[in-house]
Amino acid sequence: MPDAGLTCLDFWCRGGSSFEDHGEEGLAHFLEHMVFKGSATLQAGEFDRRIEALGGSSNAATGFDDVHFHVLVPSSCAQNALDLLLDLVLNPALREDAYSMERDVVLEEIAQYRDQPDEQVFQTLLSHGFGKHPYGRPILGWEKSLLDSTPEAMRQFHNRRYRGPNCCLAISGAVTSNLIEQIHSSRLAELEASLDQGDENASASRSLAFLSGRQSIRFPRLEAARLLMAWPMAAANDQDSVMGADLATTLLAEGRRSRLVQRLREDLQIVESIDMDVTVMEQGSVVMLEACCPEDQIEQVEAVIEEELKRATVDAIGDDELHRAQQLVGNGLRFSLEAPGSVAAIAGSQSLWGRTQTLLSPLSHLQTWTVERLQQSLLPRLQNDQAFTLLALPEDSE
Amino acid sequence: MSATDLVLDPVQTPGVLAAKLWIGRGSAADPVGQRGAHQLLASVLTRGCGSLDAMQMADLVEGCGAGLRCDTNEDGLLISMKCRDLDSPQLLPLLSSMVHEPHLQADQVNLERELSLQALQRQREDPFHLAFDGWRHLAYGMGPYGHDPLGVAGELEQLNAASLRPIATSLSAEGAILALSGSIPAKLLDQLKADGIFPQSNSADPDPDAKDLSDQASLSAEQTVHLHSQSTEQVVLMLGQPTLPHGHPDDLALRLLQTHLGNGMSSLLFRRLREDHGVAYDVGVHHPARAKASPFILHASTAVDKALTTLDLLIMSWQELMEHTLEIADLNLARAKFCGQLAHASQTTGQRAERRAQLRGLGLPDNHDHRCMEALESLDGTALRLAASRHLANPLLSLCGPKSAIDSLADRWQQSLSQF
Repeated sequence: MPDAGLTCLDFWCRGGSSFEDHGEEGLAHFLEHMVFKGSATLQAGEFDRRIEALGGSSNAATGFDDVHFHVLVPSSCAQNALDLLLDLVLNPALREDAYSMERDVVLEEIAQYRDQPDEQVFQTLLSHGFGKHPYGRPILGWEKSLLDSTPEAMRQFHNRRYRGPNCCLAISGAVTSNLIEQIHSSRLAELEASLDQGDENASASRSLAFLSGRQSIRFPRLEAARLLMAWPMAAANDQDSVMGADLATTLLAEGRRSRLVQRLREDLQIVESIDMDVTVMEQGSVVMLEACCPEDQIEQVEAVIEEELKRATVDAIGDDELHRAQQLVGNGLRFSLEAPGSVAAIAGSQSLWGRTQTLLSPLSHLQTWTVERLQQSLLPRLQNDQAFTLLALPEDSE
Repeated sequence: MSATDLVLDPVQTPGVLAAKLWIGRGSAADPVGQRGAHQLLASVLTRGCGSLDAMQMADLVEGCGAGLRCDTNEDGLLISMKCRDLDSPQLLPLLSSMVHEPHLQADQVNLERELSLQALQRQREDPFHLAFDGWRHLAYGMGPYGHDPLGVAGELEQLNAASLRPIATSLSAEGAILALSGSIPAKLLDQLKADGIFPQSNSADPDPDAKDLSDQASLSAEQTVHLHSQSTEQVVLMLGQPTLPHGHPDDLALRLLQTHLGNGMSSLLFRRLREDHGVAYDVGVHHPARAKASPFILHASTAVDKALTTLDLLIMSWQELMEHTLEIADLNLARAKFCGQLAHASQTTGQRAERRAQLRGLGLPDNHDHRCMEALESLDGTALRLAASRHLANPLLSLCGPKSAIDSLADRWQQSLSQF
């Protein structure tokens, strides 16, 4: 992106919460916090101060599968930022005093999420659908496991996961040849070249079984009812199926002309909103639907959704409907390629998991999804009896 | 029909165009007894205009894979379109048609009204929203910035197509600003020219006296704290004051202070509350660009047993702005971050077009941000402290959380008021 004034350096690691062992719940995310508390050569807060003094910014995010740390700086400062970032991420100090202070911050983060009913509903859906699999527990972890954790245990997790084959650095924006040369002699070369065998065996032994079912639960401080549904979908590596699922959810619930929005919000006027999307994950993706509605409408909403999902498998889907969905999915990707930060995130996550490809290549799968193929192999998987359905109701409105 | 001012910002993109149409009539202009009217009108504009009804509009926009939305804030209404450059000649005429030929059909207005009422209800789940709502009421009362742009349920319920028509007429008569950023096809420019829409240069300085119409008159003289009791684990604290319009001579000083306090992980609040005391996860400063007295609010959420410490830290941080002169190292860091933020905020065509429309809408020159960067060096620590003394001397506190906790905090606040 030669015209970009900024450069994004995005370090990715296969070190998300799904790689935590029993007793380590929350450690991947807590480590992400601790990384910013300094390295052997950087004092706590020094990294932030130096990056921001360059006119840059930094942040990080932990997911189920991976974690990434990114800095966005004026392109002329990228070489400086590269050294700082790699030092911080690959050699975290994990000092004892900083550890207990930062753990308090993470506990506040957990408390903040608990005060958001939306988050509670969402987490309840995942925990029912994914059961004991790590995808079913909060990325932030449990208070108890965090309180029991130690800097030493965190260092072991870091040593186990932050190894060469598990890591990837993505750079986007204005990229100079000097910067590329610098990468070859950077701390990336010091990364352990082999995987931790015990860790890999443990990861491979986890199987993802999705549990369908239906539950109705009342939540405190919820002001409107929610109907949530989740379906298991292909893993990220099966990009063809993932694109098919994206197309199907767009056809069903994106925009006023989509089937569910048109029927439930426009015609029957029984929902405030209805959304459906695909969360792409490495061990198995999930399609989620969320409808917000008054509590007294929720059963009708569920019945109409069932009817529409069935209808989508048998009634004709017009060429215009398919074209509309293809356009929306295609532009969703095209529009996300403007900023160095989002380009680095897409390129980094795809490369990390072995999908080295051009940014727009996922779109090549779109044309293979004909109406017939959608109706034969994808839409039949998005039916009520295969979902986990959660009826989330306000607590005090019985 | 009024004139449309056109701002062009051609940028190389992967064939993307962002268009932002800004009209300076927002929720602050809601008529008495009709709070929520401008937001409701904005939401209905996408539901039929010119020769297209709601579904035909959706067919056109969604059929091109484009995004169209209409948002309202206190100062104005913003119609946003994002599309591929090759679709823009077909899609852009919609924007003008939405403003000048809206259908405002009764059934569509009623549907949007019900959706807005449900959204208002759902917002109450968020303790941050409740705390901000309380602060807003405390600070602006019944003034133009005193209500959520979504409206007030009791008044929104009474609105219908007939009540929106005069507002739509005023909207159509108001001058609009159309900003285009990204890949701009020549055909689109020809089309706009044929409609009498040309780029106009803008380098005039605003008249600060004309814009400095804050809502001070509507402030309550005595009450300085608002309490909202909720059975949450945490307490949300918001400490702030209505301040200045964007572009006011002291605005840059306040923006530098905002940067110093709340921007990035090197900011004072982040270091003090998170790194030194571990009392909060989410801390920051809310200070949006507004045409009138913009809120300047420090916010944090924390566990009940840490709430008093958190309040003390927020009060201390606030008072320091007026009592201490910023160290040169902190000042230089704030300057660097301020410039960095401007670059960060202009990465996408949507961000660029919106900023251009916003500056024109506020009567500021197109090069306002550049001028601010040049003026940074002339602002020293003393100038910031004096600006804080002029504009931050009367803070107001809003709290949301368990009753006993917020009552204790209110007592502490009353004790500390003598320090201001």
